[in-house]
Amino acid sequence: MKVKRKHIFLVLVTSLFCVISIAFTTSVKETKRISATLLTDQRVFEAGNSIVLNFKFNKPVRASLFAHSSFGSTIIEPDKIGGSQFTIPEFIANKKGVLSYKLVYQSDILFQGKIHIRSNAATKVNLETYIGPPSILAGGWDYTMQVVIPTDSYDNTLPDSTDVLIKHQFLDIEKERVLHSKDMIGWARIFSYTESGRMALSSKVKETVSKETSIEVFPWLPEDFTINSHRKHEYADGNQVTEFTTSVLKDKYDNVVSNGTLVEFVIKDTKGVLLHTQGSTINGQAIAKILHPDHKETWQISAYVHGMAESNTITLDYTPVINDFEVVFNQDNRKIKIGPLISFMGQLIPDGAIVKMDIFKGNKKIDTKVKTSSEGIVRFILQEGFYVSGDYNIHINALGVHKEYKNITLK
Amino acid sequence: MDKTTNKYLISALLIGIIFHGTAIFFTLEVTYDALIHLFFGNHYANNWFEPWSYSWYTGFTVMGYPPLVHQSIGMFSYIGGLKFGLFTVAIIAIILFITGVYRFALVLTSNRNVAGYTAILAVFSSAFIETLHIFGQLPSIIGLSVLFHALPEIYLWLKTGKYKNLLNALSLIAVTVTSHHVTPIFGMVFFIFPLIGMVIMDVSKEKVGTYKDVRFMTFLQSFLSLFKRIVGFGFGSLLLIVVCILPYWINTKNNPITQVPIPHGSRDNFFEVTSSGLVFFIIPWGVLLFLLPYIWYRLFSKRYLFFGLSIALLSILGTGDTTPIPRIILGENAFNILTLDRFTLWAAMMALPIFGEFGYRFVEGDLRQKIQRKYGGVYHRIIGGLLTGVIVFMTFFTMSLGYFRPSQPQKIKMLPILNFLSQDQHDHWRYLPLGFGDQMAWLSAQTNAMTVDGNYHSARRLPELTTRAVERLENSKFRGVEGIGSLQQFLTVPEKYNLKYVFSNDKFYDPILYFCGWQRLRQLENGIMVWEKLNVPPLSSILPKEDVPTFQKLMWGLIPIATVLLAFIINIQLIWIHALKSRSESFPVYFKFRTYYDEFKNPIFKISYLWGIFMLIVTGYGMYLVYVKNVKQLTPISLTEAYYDALDFKEFKRAYSYLDPKSNKTIDQYMLEIAVTDGLLSSYAKMDEINVSITAKTDRTARVKAVTHWITPLERIDKTFYHELVKYGNKWYIKPLDYDLDIPPDQLFSENVTAFFNHGRRRVSSEVTYHEDVLEQPVLEVLSAKIIEYEDQYSIIGELQNIDNIPADVVITGTLYNDSNKKLAGYNAKHQMKHKLMPKEITSFRINFEGIAWIDREDQKPKTFDPDQFTPIEFDERPTRFNIQSAGNVTTVDLYKGVAINELSVKNDFIEGILFNSGLEEVTIPLLLISYYDKDYELIWVDHQYLPEGIRPQRKQYFSYQFLDLSCVNVVNKDMKNVFVNGLLNTGISKSIVPDRRDEHLPFPFLPIKGNGFSYIKLEINTYVGAPN
Repeated sequence: MKVKRKHIFLVLVTSLFCVISIAFTTSVKETKRISATLLTDQRVFEAGNSIVLNFKFNKPVRASLFAHSSFGSTIIEPDKIGGSQFTIPEFIANKKGVLSYKLVYQSDILFQGKIHIRSNAATKVNLETYIGPPSILAGGWDYTMQVVIPTDSYDNTLPDSTDVLIKHQFLDIEKERVLHSKDMIGWARIFSYTESGRMALSSKVKETVSKETSIEVFPWLPEDFTINSHRKHEYADGNQVTEFTTSVLKDKYDNVVSNGTLVEFVIKDTKGVLLHTQGSTINGQAIAKILHPDHKETWQISAYVHGMAESNTITLDYTPVINDFEVVFNQDNRKIKIGPLISFMGQLIPDGAIVKMDIFKGNKKIDTKVKTSSEGIVRFILQEGFYVSGDYNIHINALGVHKEYKNITLK
Repeated sequence: MDKTTNKYLISALLIGIIFHGTAIFFTLEVTYDALIHLFFGNHYANNWFEPWSYSWYTGFTVMGYPPLVHQSIGMFSYIGGLKFGLFTVAIIAIILFITGVYRFALVLTSNRNVAGYTAILAVFSSAFIETLHIFGQLPSIIGLSVLFHALPEIYLWLKTGKYKNLLNALSLIAVTVTSHHVTPIFGMVFFIFPLIGMVIMDVSKEKVGTYKDVRFMTFLQSFLSLFKRIVGFGFGSLLLIVVCILPYWINTKNNPITQVPIPHGSRDNFFEVTSSGLVFFIIPWGVLLFLLPYIWYRLFSKRYLFFGLSIALLSILGTGDTTPIPRIILGENAFNILTLDRFTLWAAMMALPIFGEFGYRFVEGDLRQKIQRKYGGVYHRIIGGLLTGVIVFMTFFTMSLGYFRPSQPQKIKMLPILNFLSQDQHDHWRYLPLGFGDQMAWLSAQTNAMTVDGNYHSARRLPELTTRAVERLENSKFRGVEGIGSLQQFLTVPEKYNLKYVFSNDKFYDPILYFCGWQRLRQLENGIMVWEKLNVPPLSSILPKEDVPTFQKLMWGLIPIATVLLAFIINIQLIWIHALKSRSESFPVYFKFRTYYDEFKNPIFKISYLWGIFMLIVTGYGMYLVYVKNVKQLTPISLTEAYYDALDFKEFKRAYSYLDPKSNKTIDQYMLEIAVTDGLLSSYAKMDEINVSITAKTDRTARVKAVTHWITPLERIDKTFYHELVKYGNKWYIKPLDYDLDIPPDQLFSENVTAFFNHGRRRVSSEVTYHEDVLEQPVLEVLSAKIIEYEDQYSIIGELQNIDNIPADVVITGTLYNDSNKKLAGYNAKHQMKHKLMPKEITSFRINFEGIAWIDREDQKPKTFDPDQFTPIEFDERPTRFNIQSAGNVTTVDLYKGVAINELSVKNDFIEGILFNSGLEEVTIPLLLISYYDKDYELIWVDHQYLPEGIRPQRKQYFSYQFLDLSCVNVVNKDMKNVFVNGLLNTGISKSIVPDRRDEHLPFPFLPIKGNGFSYIKLEINTYVGAPN
């Protein structure tokens, strides 16, 4: 019994196997029956030419062509329904690269192959050019890159080793060079010269010329320079303006630095305090201004471009305009008239000279009054309501002159 | 039913439509809200089913406001444009309001004449005028009006139980719900509940004969008998409230309002802030104030008892913070969210029928007879004239309020801005209007460009905005600390919001824009200044949005209009019957409960009489107070305050009138002296506080010390002035201060300046410029950078130089990390740097890490206004590493460097000196940058100081600066390996561009100081030129 059952099982399994095999072979045979061959011999095309693939089927079927190119993948139907001729659409045929295709019938691949599309040397060459960076520094080590991409009129890059003529003009130099494109582009580093200026660049491939592109060559860092001063007179009147000018700032290749370069001026006065002014260059020269001091002063001035260049130090002496002035107390000492403040030629000092009055009661400063002069005179009024009667010490400062009045009695 | 047409109603409608309908063309666009509704209307017109709007707040949902009114504006805009839509809806609102009030009065008084009077008086109701012509609250008006229309139907349903009435009532409630969400909810409480009470009273009266005999038990029985109808109606309307604007409720639940309460005048104490009292109490009540006893008496009669309770509650709630009661009733939360003006509006509306009744009785009823009998006909006419006079005055006053005290800036021509935004892809960035008022909504409605600001603050999402009680960034100067602080965050880190353009209609904001690194582009034809920020990336083409399910979009788009159509169809029969009197119908059932006016009660007559006199006295006293406030020269203190007040408001003629007439200063001289002063204090400051104290005083003279606090866009300035005062007669005068007599040396002088121009696009082309015409970014070098810990705050400080050959606009972004490279905070350098650098120029910088202010609700907000208020980020972990990304962009403007430090003297703990402007431009605001160095020339801190006065060419300006105590400064990290310039490593740039840097230049400008924790300081000057030549 056991054997018998085993046999039956075996027979069943075998027959199942047979049935499956037969089924498979049948279907394989079915596919095999449809086959296709490529009639078109050409395997390499030029971009822009029409690409037609002719197949021959052993049995008329409605096959379609699955094409894959750098643009993506698409299904192409035969030119005639049920036909065997396939025209590759223009947008693929215009594009350089490898086009792989599969002839498909009901998800079976009947035929597959590849064609190569080359750039079309017969069309007019187009050029794409890039220059960057648009500004470089003079000195010969900084450079810009000129990139030229020659293409055919279908925007396919031309094959490697295409001759690219590049030119550049700088001052009275004009240079040209032939490059061979590699990996689709032709490029070169254009190094700066020692001069600053504008460089024009162009390129040419076959008969096609590029437009003009230009880059700016900026000067290198400024070198040390000298400074000068100009003033209307040497008096410390606190009114006139002293001008500092630099020599023309140049880099080490003798280029004038770019306009706007900021030059800082530091002025050291007799107390060791640092004053400050600045100017930016025009044609290499910077001008900075500062007001005259209003008292005897000696200034040491130097200028620098931070971290890059510095100047000599110059010394300026300012002569005091006044040695003494009159102070008149009136109306129980409550009205104080200072002046006339007489300047260097015996003229009245220009309006606006600062007069400072410190009022002390005992040793305690109780008030400071500051006024500016008008027609050489400054008047202070110590009003009764605010300054009770009594003795005061009064210190007056004007144009570097210091005067003290002790025990002024206000009534 | 009476077949005669109600002539009063017809007159009211005619007058109302002509009066309001013509006036809205001059008022509506300058109201607070109308343009917001217009903006929403525009949104629906363009995207009916899309609730997400990108225009405001980096995107928000319009499901935060019931859509009916907006959709109606949108719908009508298809016919004649947006403004046509707005005005049409406004006119519809006027019609609905007048007819609604008529019907409300009719159901309340059951007297067609009284209702007619009410309709006429409603036209001139100051509450209505204010709501429409000053506030522009269209949805609120429509919601209320439709609710009024629903009231008679509700009455009839409750009384008769006819389903037709229930349907009518519910259809109208649905319209109310979809037009305004607050109205039906509070309307239930304040209008419908009292109405139900009245119906029960009426039913009880029918049972017992008179209202007098109605006792609580009868009332309860009637209530129980009507209970089913009441519940039926209640559930019906509740269902409508929930269903009709379901997406609104879902949105409210999903996006709870995180906005901190924004101050509103209606929540003020009206005695303290009298202007709020005027706008939110005096005006809406208007003439009704004179009739309060009568109104209360009538509404507290038994039939109207519940209306009486309701109006009592409404009037109290409407008083804001004057009494603590509203806060107690509403609770802290609701009190701070609701605007309480609506309660006063409703109270005034509720009083209208009684006012109408009074009018009827006064003009042709028993009151007239009584007065004529008692005092004679002339007296009656005089009182009538007086009352009419008050009505006319209130109407004029309310209508003209917007004219004399404009709440909005002058009307701005939008076309130049719209053109600017649509040119050259400017709408690829966000923009920010400043000083536009509510007209910003009109701008937004017309452009595709987006703004970070917006005008519907409940919908805001950015924590920078929701945590601040700021209505809009646009008018942030009115909101002090929070306003300017919030604005500064947007201006300092605009990259975060893709904010590139600012349209400034208020020069107040100009300094803050400049010092945050913005630059002026140009002034448009309409006078608006365009500011731009360099280095801001454009918006990405796909922006985030919060989507909602389609069913919600459909509900939102379809239900509101459907409710109107439905209500129209259901009620149309009614309208035709009413309008054409085509069918004779019986009087509605409430006519049975008509009051007959045969005798005006004596006590109430007397009380009203006394009240009227009392009100006249109060008015007179108020006017007296106003007068007394205007007398300025009685005491030295009031004079000084008045003088500064005049200066603050730029009323220089008035200021001059306070000057000592014997001082020989002519008005011409005084005006001239004023004209030549410019600067932060005189041109950009608003006085916040003044404390005047007398330091010395005699009978005839006084010396005062005026400690003034000024708010400027940059910081709060405290300045103390000393004045001498004299008294002539009984008036005090101020002695004019000395002015600077300094005379510049040159009458005419010349200077060569380096100026730059950038073409932008050289070719007129709409294509994106990829490489042609794109300028290279200027190369910068960061000379030093470090994290500093100072007073428990972390900052990045350093120095940076423009090492290129072209001027640069510099943006510095610093980021702090902890030891495990976890990012802790990032921010940009704000005003502690010079943003515009000439070639080879150097600047110190400091980056403060600002948090979002008061994100923690517990934080105590400062009470006073301080624009310089700074909220440091709270770090959970200690920042130990940092990264700096600096970027340079070519700039051609704001490169003025003409200010020199002309004199310095170092004192113990401060330094004073003189700045001299040697160039050709007038410097409006000079900024001192003070860098502190230790003995090894290491930068340890950067501080700044604005000078309050400007410097004219060839003039001097004094300054003094107090040194800081830097003994506790701690350098955390000065490793510069993560410093980048234009995306490249700083070290690489440094090596290749400035290979032999002369480090000995660093201490050249150092001023040796014996300071606390520092040995040297360096002074740098940044200048804001307000009006470049």
